[in-house]
Amino acid sequence: MNDQPTVPLRDPAKIMRLARLGSLHQCRLSFMRILTRRMAKEGWVFTRPIFQIDAKGVGHAVYTAKAPNHSYSLIAFAHDLPDRLRSDRVIAEAWDATFTLFDGIATAGDLERLSNNVPLQEAGRVSGRELSLSRANRSVRLWSHVVESLSEGRQPDLGMIRQVGYLMRTTAVYGSGKFGAADRDMIADRVEMQPPFQAEMLSVYLTRAFVCDLVQHMASVKGGAKVVQLDPAIARQLGIGNSTGLGMAPYIINHPKIFNNWILARETAIARVRSCKTASAQEVALFHEVLESSELLHSNWHSTHPIQTGKLAQLGHDLSLLKSRIASSDLTRDFPWNRLMGWAEAALAEEGQELVASLILEPYPDLVDELAPSMADTSPHAFAIDGTMPVSRVRHLIEQNFAWALDIDWQAPQNCARLWYVSQEKLEPRLGERSEEHIGDYEQPLAIARDQAACYRALDGWQADQPIAAFLLVHPEHRHIIRRAQISLNAPYSEIRDNTISADMLPIDMLRAKLAFFGAIHFDPRSDRWVRICMYSNAPYPQDLNMSNADRWIYPAACR
Amino acid sequence: MSYSLNEVEAMAKKASRGAGYHWGIAEEAAYATRWLCAHGFDGCEALASLLPKSEHTDFALRTPNLACPVWHSRSGRICPLLAGAALGDYAFRLQDRAISLANVEHPIMLLPFAAVVARRICAFVTVEWDGVWTTTDGSNVSRTVIDRMIDSSTGRSLMQEIADLVIVRIDGRIGGGLHTIVPGKSRASPSPAAWDCLNQFAHRTYAPATEESRRMGAGASACDND
Repeated sequence: MNDQPTVPLRDPAKIMRLARLGSLHQCRLSFMRILTRRMAKEGWVFTRPIFQIDAKGVGHAVYTAKAPNHSYSLIAFAHDLPDRLRSDRVIAEAWDATFTLFDGIATAGDLERLSNNVPLQEAGRVSGRELSLSRANRSVRLWSHVVESLSEGRQPDLGMIRQVGYLMRTTAVYGSGKFGAADRDMIADRVEMQPPFQAEMLSVYLTRAFVCDLVQHMASVKGGAKVVQLDPAIARQLGIGNSTGLGMAPYIINHPKIFNNWILARETAIARVRSCKTASAQEVALFHEVLESSELLHSNWHSTHPIQTGKLAQLGHDLSLLKSRIASSDLTRDFPWNRLMGWAEAALAEEGQELVASLILEPYPDLVDELAPSMADTSPHAFAIDGTMPVSRVRHLIEQNFAWALDIDWQAPQNCARLWYVSQEKLEPRLGERSEEHIGDYEQPLAIARDQAACYRALDGWQADQPIAAFLLVHPEHRHIIRRAQISLNAPYSEIRDNTISADMLPIDMLRAKLAFFGAIHFDPRSDRWVRICMYSNAPYPQDLNMSNADRWIYPAACR
Repeated sequence: MSYSLNEVEAMAKKASRGAGYHWGIAEEAAYATRWLCAHGFDGCEALASLLPKSEHTDFALRTPNLACPVWHSRSGRICPLLAGAALGDYAFRLQDRAISLANVEHPIMLLPFAAVVARRICAFVTVEWDGVWTTTDGSNVSRTVIDRMIDSSTGRSLMQEIADLVIVRIDGRIGGGLHTIVPGKSRASPSPAAWDCLNQFAHRTYAPATEESRRMGAGASACDND
């Protein structure tokens, strides 16, 4: 690669727009694939020491994953939830199943303690021995169908399986010290926990195994001798769904350095691949395969929401254009991926462009995978403001990310229509209409562009070479923004360059950005602020995981 | 009950905001409270004692005036969060001379900011008041109490509510490293009273629940039986 020109990273001004972030696709660097690759490579051993579920589907189970230096146990509690209580919202108080990922092997005492707390979720407490807390609800229709079919000796209907994609969906997966769980610091020096969200991804991976076992168990209870085992090929298609709303959206705003690191890793990977002067026949063949799989994934991607149906139609169109383009291109030479991306930028919509960006990474594990650890924020201390930075420099930093915001009329109703707040009701994050609700006092600091513009205005009249410390002393109200501006100095992708309180802002764009990095597919918005997705669809189950299927399982009927 | 440091940090941020601090200072409070807990001090107690004094105050009157040899505030009492932020911002000043601050409330809350300074200027920074001094290199903390200068009748200590004079200086005496390092902690165990106090302040940042807000605000249906 040394004698090749390096394609620069894509411009943050283009990438950090909500519409594009809301069009991201999973890729090699998604957190669940980082995990499955590691588990296979390191030969993790999976066992199920406990499965004590009664005929009503109530009880608990333990799934243990043994890594080279640590063991992790998913402790699952199954409940008999009346339909009328089933809700995916933060304000729910009961669920079909509740979980915790225990750090190690739980004792009987731990299990007792956890049985008294985990089913309560936020109303209970977990300890530094627990790494995550989560819960899941059934997909009622599909669950009933699968239980009934298997109990009667038949396999479930493939059409229904594909339509829904999961038997259960998590409605929250809390980690990083929440509700008493272990802080990330406690495990961050373990190599398997260094990339982001690995504990949470492991929890969901094991949850999927539990859900499969549970549905089989319920079918056996119902059908007795008539029951058949769920066909492994069908089981494999089932992922774990996830239902998420506004709670997740603020993350990418509240963690600018971390979000920058994710985007930067992906953009670096893209630039490296684009800088390849040639591609081997094998690499090109692999690209064709994952493209074909993407078409299959697209055909299985269902949503009735008008926002998504529009995007899906566009993506379908983009896929046809892409196929034609590939058919008439020589992808073996002359910086093929760079040419393809250049074409995509002109010819395809954002969804298509970002799909291409993800797919070109697939043939290049050696260029891409090593970037995974860089996605974490490894700075040991919170970011401290540099008081010596001159006012002119701070102004410049604000201009760099928010020049577009400086001339907006922030008083105009459409520009400040929304208000992010947290409700007293179980601390559920909500998005309100500023003009209709009297919640101005409770506004969360998520209107970054507006606040950057306000800070910029306040800097008017300050001498260029004055240290920003002087400004901060008399303007503590802008401290939050000055900190962000300074973070952006070494984090080009730290700021969303869109108005997050405008009338037409779509929170689902923020959700999709984060979820795509998790590795989710099949984004199915239920409103502009609530989305369902699927995780680990087509992944091997723990007992089947190996080096040949641990990586590209996300691409159905494609290479592994 | 023990809490994760993340919980402490999140609570401190919300509580400080609830007490009226701007978000940027609330972030500093969150950092400071977490830092104190992580270094074996009762950060929650310190913050829970400070916040009731902070609400309904004019922060400008409790901000130190840096133009004088001894930093002081217009109200006569310095808020340690505001002073701490200024200390960090003006870390470079410490290279010239020690910084003295008059009438600092809950001076222990300056320690995390001494750590900020230590990291920024790569030095050992000592904070001293009433015969108590603490030194940090930015990562670790050492503590020595000079017994003969402790006023046993008033029990002045690290957790005292006000210090007449606090001195922050680079400690050139330390060569090689800190002595008697205070062991760090990975969890916090605040008193229920302190946690409850912080929670009450944090609660002020939550909007009252209304039927309208429940229906419109979150986007999902109330019943998910599909």
